[in-house]
Amino acid sequence: MSSESESLDAELETTTLDGEGVDLSMVIDLQRCTGCGACNIGCAQENNLQEGMAYSSRIIETNGEFPNVSYEYTPTLCNQCDDAPCAEGCPTSALHKGKGGITMHDHETCIGCKSCMINCPYDEIHLNEEDPHPTWESEEATIESGTASARAVKDRAGVDDDVDAPAYYNPNREVSETEHPTRYKGIVEKCNFCVHRLERDELPRCVEECPCEARIFGDRNDPDSTVNEVLAKYNPDVLKADEGTEPSVNYVRDYNGGSYERGTGEPGLGD
Amino acid sequence: MSQHDTTDDDDTDLWIGRRDVMKAGAVGAVAAGLGSSLTSLTPLAQAEDGRTDLVEHTGDWRPSTCAGCTSWCAAQVLVDDETDRVLRTRGHEDSRIHGTNDCPRQDLGIQQLYDPDRITQPMRRTNPEKGRDVDPEFEPISWEEAIGEIADRIMELRENGEPETFMVTRGRYTYLRPILYSYLPQIIGSPNNISHSAICAEAEKFGPMYTEGEWSYRQYDVQQSRYVLAWGADPISANRQVSHYSNEFGDLLDRATVAVVEPRLSSTATKSDEWLPVEPGHDGALASAMAHVILRDGLWNREFVGEFEDGENRFVPGERVDPETFEESENSRGVIEWWNEELYDKEPEWAADEAGVPAEQIERVATGFAEAGPNAISWLGGGPCMQVRGSYTAMAIHALNGLVGSVGNRGGTLYAPSTGVEDLPAPDEYVDEVAEAGLDHEKIDQRGRLEFPALKDGESGGGVVTNNAADGILDEDPNEIEVLISYWNNFAFSNPESQRWEEALAEIPFHATIETHASETAWFADVVLPATHHQFERWGQLRSTGAGYRTINLHTPVMADDPDDPEDVLENGRLWDVKTDETEIPYLLAEALADRGFENLLAFFETEYPDPESGRSLREEIPGDDFESRELRAQAFSRNALKLRTRPIWDPDYRENEFDWPGGEEFDDWVEFRERGIWHTDEWEYRHRWPSEGGEFDTDTGVFEFDGETLRNALEGHAERHDTDVDTVLDVCNYQGRVDDPDAPDAFVPHYEEPYDMGDEDDYPFNFVDYKDRLNREGRSANTPWAQEFNDVNPGDEPGKDLAKINPRDADRLGIEDGDEISIRSPVGEIESTAKLWEGVRPGTVAKTWGQGHWAYGRVASDEFGDEARGGSNNVVIGAEYDRLSGSSVFYGDVRVDIETR
Ligand code: SF4
Ligand code: SF4
Ligand code: SF4
Repeated sequence: MSSESESLDAELETTTLDGEGVDLSMVIDLQRCTGCGACNIGCAQENNLQEGMAYSSRIIETNGEFPNVSYEYTPTLCNQCDDAPCAEGCPTSALHKGKGGITMHDHETCIGCKSCMINCPYDEIHLNEEDPHPTWESEEATIESGTASARAVKDRAGVDDDVDAPAYYNPNREVSETEHPTRYKGIVEKCNFCVHRLERDELPRCVEECPCEARIFGDRNDPDSTVNEVLAKYNPDVLKADEGTEPSVNYVRDYNGGSYERGTGEPGLGD
Repeated sequence: MSQHDTTDDDDTDLWIGRRDVMKAGAVGAVAAGLGSSLTSLTPLAQAEDGRTDLVEHTGDWRPSTCAGCTSWCAAQVLVDDETDRVLRTRGHEDSRIHGTNDCPRQDLGIQQLYDPDRITQPMRRTNPEKGRDVDPEFEPISWEEAIGEIADRIMELRENGEPETFMVTRGRYTYLRPILYSYLPQIIGSPNNISHSAICAEAEKFGPMYTEGEWSYRQYDVQQSRYVLAWGADPISANRQVSHYSNEFGDLLDRATVAVVEPRLSSTATKSDEWLPVEPGHDGALASAMAHVILRDGLWNREFVGEFEDGENRFVPGERVDPETFEESENSRGVIEWWNEELYDKEPEWAADEAGVPAEQIERVATGFAEAGPNAISWLGGGPCMQVRGSYTAMAIHALNGLVGSVGNRGGTLYAPSTGVEDLPAPDEYVDEVAEAGLDHEKIDQRGRLEFPALKDGESGGGVVTNNAADGILDEDPNEIEVLISYWNNFAFSNPESQRWEEALAEIPFHATIETHASETAWFADVVLPATHHQFERWGQLRSTGAGYRTINLHTPVMADDPDDPEDVLENGRLWDVKTDETEIPYLLAEALADRGFENLLAFFETEYPDPESGRSLREEIPGDDFESRELRAQAFSRNALKLRTRPIWDPDYRENEFDWPGGEEFDDWVEFRERGIWHTDEWEYRHRWPSEGGEFDTDTGVFEFDGETLRNALEGHAERHDTDVDTVLDVCNYQGRVDDPDAPDAFVPHYEEPYDMGDEDDYPFNFVDYKDRLNREGRSANTPWAQEFNDVNPGDEPGKDLAKINPRDADRLGIEDGDEISIRSPVGEIESTAKLWEGVRPGTVAKTWGQGHWAYGRVASDEFGDEARGGSNNVVIGAEYDRLSGSSVFYGDVRVDIETR
């Protein structure tokens, strides 16, 4: 394991999710980010996401004219806003602020009214228009008796037919009272910093998955946390600061670490 | 129907009920998995007491290797302890190269393993007609029948005394490859084993070969480097050691300047200090001009290159230098010849005109690079050299490392320290007369002919000319191919002008292919054998190189609890009734050939591949003549082969007494090594090959050559073989260099040649810029939904789409708008695509990510399996041309196309 995630892991072990005044936060170091998408794929697998639904996602922008072109890749996820309009506008409090400052969603009380989707300025809430993974119900093979079918793979892998999930389904997703393995038609869903992992002292999957150690995670209220160290070192940014939602996801440095701001020569976060 | 419809009042209860269903599900699998077949899953009786109220992901991380690209990262796989299901993958925590970091491609592996379109069992073609529009009408057959059919065909060839009409093609491999790729054809008697290497990047090896004697890829010391100058290399995206370079890249930007030469804005270019958007095909002009600047300004490394006797710099633009005035260092030779023959007039202004990159930028980059030397890297990728005249460009780009003394040096270009693996036992004693006669024949790719020098390792015809084998087959020249076994490749998709392979494959009377998916190649096969997935279901060995080390990485059948037990592997280690191409299938074939009276292959395996720990032969371990016993022996053979290959690493006695041990980690027994799955060399020692430090380069002269002396010998050798001169060779092979012709570049020194047009500029006004998809997994991931959903990791691309990127200025001129359906036409073929207006491409070029355009492979990869392609395959428009000195196929350079709205 990389030195960064090892130290973040160690930090996490001393942070109790239920502790008073724990404020979980993520910093994304854009200079370290290579726009590889490993976070998004890891997230999709961790959370058994229906294709097309990405909690961990990206904003991509190309600016300028050839040959003076800049390209920026900004990894995104729910900002776990301190002032979360999604929660404020939820008529059943299905969306609410939970432990560690995480914006939690309770599928059991969600009525699928979509207010949160309208209220979130970041487009971070996703609606299940149907039960997930319908293609995994199929019994059709491309070549009869020669290739498999979705159903056959699930059988073979020991995943029950009734689970609306692929054969590479992640059972970890239900290791928590707060969670469920996959969602279902008519309710919304969102990123919750992988609370099922946090409860087991594991970092959010996107943090663990990132091969570039671009994501730093920890407690904002712990003065010694790496998150605070990094935030103090650089000029952090949040997305759409003018919305006043007080995001818990911050960004430091530039994606174009080469061409814009010359590096400081200081050792990187991985050292 | 939804059982979770929110209108259902019992939602909560249903939910709790659902957890119970999950548990029941695991138990349910017992029934589903029980069966008489050897490959059925483990009975899961233990599932009942394992989990209490919630499922827990207690599982083991088991070692294996990712071959999603040639980084070949050591990996670990999390296997669920109750269902033996693979839950996820990561880099190997003990790797000193990449640790747990992997790249996004590895994460797609699990979607390949559990792909609903995987082939589950052997199939036979029932439709005798072959063609792209012809349904093969496959029917399932047993392994025994399938192997028997292949054996019958091989016996027939040998009985007719024409074993040379047998052929094996390979693509990706593990280092157990000699068994299927070399030994099988050798014992049968065919010279025709054709690898994919020349459609990979052989031209990239040409540069280091003919400067420092290494026909090899490099590792780059990014942790110590102050300047990285990447040429058509995209190390945070594709090949090689992406996991390591990606992780280092953020810090590298703090410490070093990064410049990227590349016609389109690559992933690496998006994050770099300098982008040099070269006109396709003109990279060599930039390399020559940069070398010119470095010498002109006196920025070369004295210790590596030498110095003028009186210290006065005589590298004056436009003037030749008297060699007598310069004292070469003991490390290199020929810099004066390089200057006099090539560099003296290659000023940045000239290069700016040729390559479309500003002269100031060329100066600035050359100066920065040289000033950072020797901690500076001239990083050679496939882009500038997989071109018709790419060999010389490869030399010029690599020679820059010589100029600044970064060769094998701190922060420069390194190779791999030696490893502790053994050669597999070879079959020479088992080659009979019939085979010997067959082996005397010329190879089907025509390597070594006048027009195909393929000078690997300095030898005429030493390398492969992969793509030309299609022509060899079609022209029956040197002979007909009657029986083909192809494995882990998809030549009907992966070779330029791939339509030729469709024709060639349709011509071959009997073709067996070993693959995980029903690929375009399988579409033409007579027998399709389902392959194990390399990361999860088989034995094998690959290696990674980076951070100063090389590691030896094992592939293990991770789903089996005791992988050493053949029965466990066959019962639990595979999802389907699949087998390993390189070992199990040749073994079963050996038994079938012995049944038919040809025993050499079986005798070879039985005698030379005992278990090195127990000493037991295969038959001693597993007796019996029924097919099940043979399958078990085949699996034991697979394991034994890997144990023999890695024996010095885990067998102290062998290491000390029977092997020239290069140093590195030491294990005390097989299980200890197998459970860890990774072994490290000692660390690379900087400068140890420099003659000034007592070392030697592997060139003919023993020093680093700026004058191409080793190339001179190789070219003269090839010319002599054909009773001609070097100029004729170069003329026939489409190069501009000549011996002693003042109007042509010198044939031996690294130099610039104008690009060779693949199409007329008037009819085909655009340059086509091909590059490989970041999620590509060497062409094998197109059927994984994530590769499609997240393909916008390729700058300029959008999720799920196959886009042709055009500069808005060109689009404006042609009246093409974003999203227009267009066709791309070259002299050899036409594809359909969608236009994307993007400023990251050079005007005059069309850039398109390679990897789409499958019409088979599966339901995600194609629009309609067997019928309708998803997007367009770049290989349909890229003509079958060659960089003939290296044998490489051409993907880049002056590939010309026209575009039109549909
Ligand atoms: S995994 Fe890391 S480097 Fe890759 S896109 Fe995500 S944040 Fe960026
Ligand atoms: S990003 Fe959107 S969903 Fe997340 S907490 Fe903020 S408002 Fe709510
Ligand atoms: S870099 Fe290549 S070998 Fe390594 S994890 Fe990625 S695909 Fe696999």
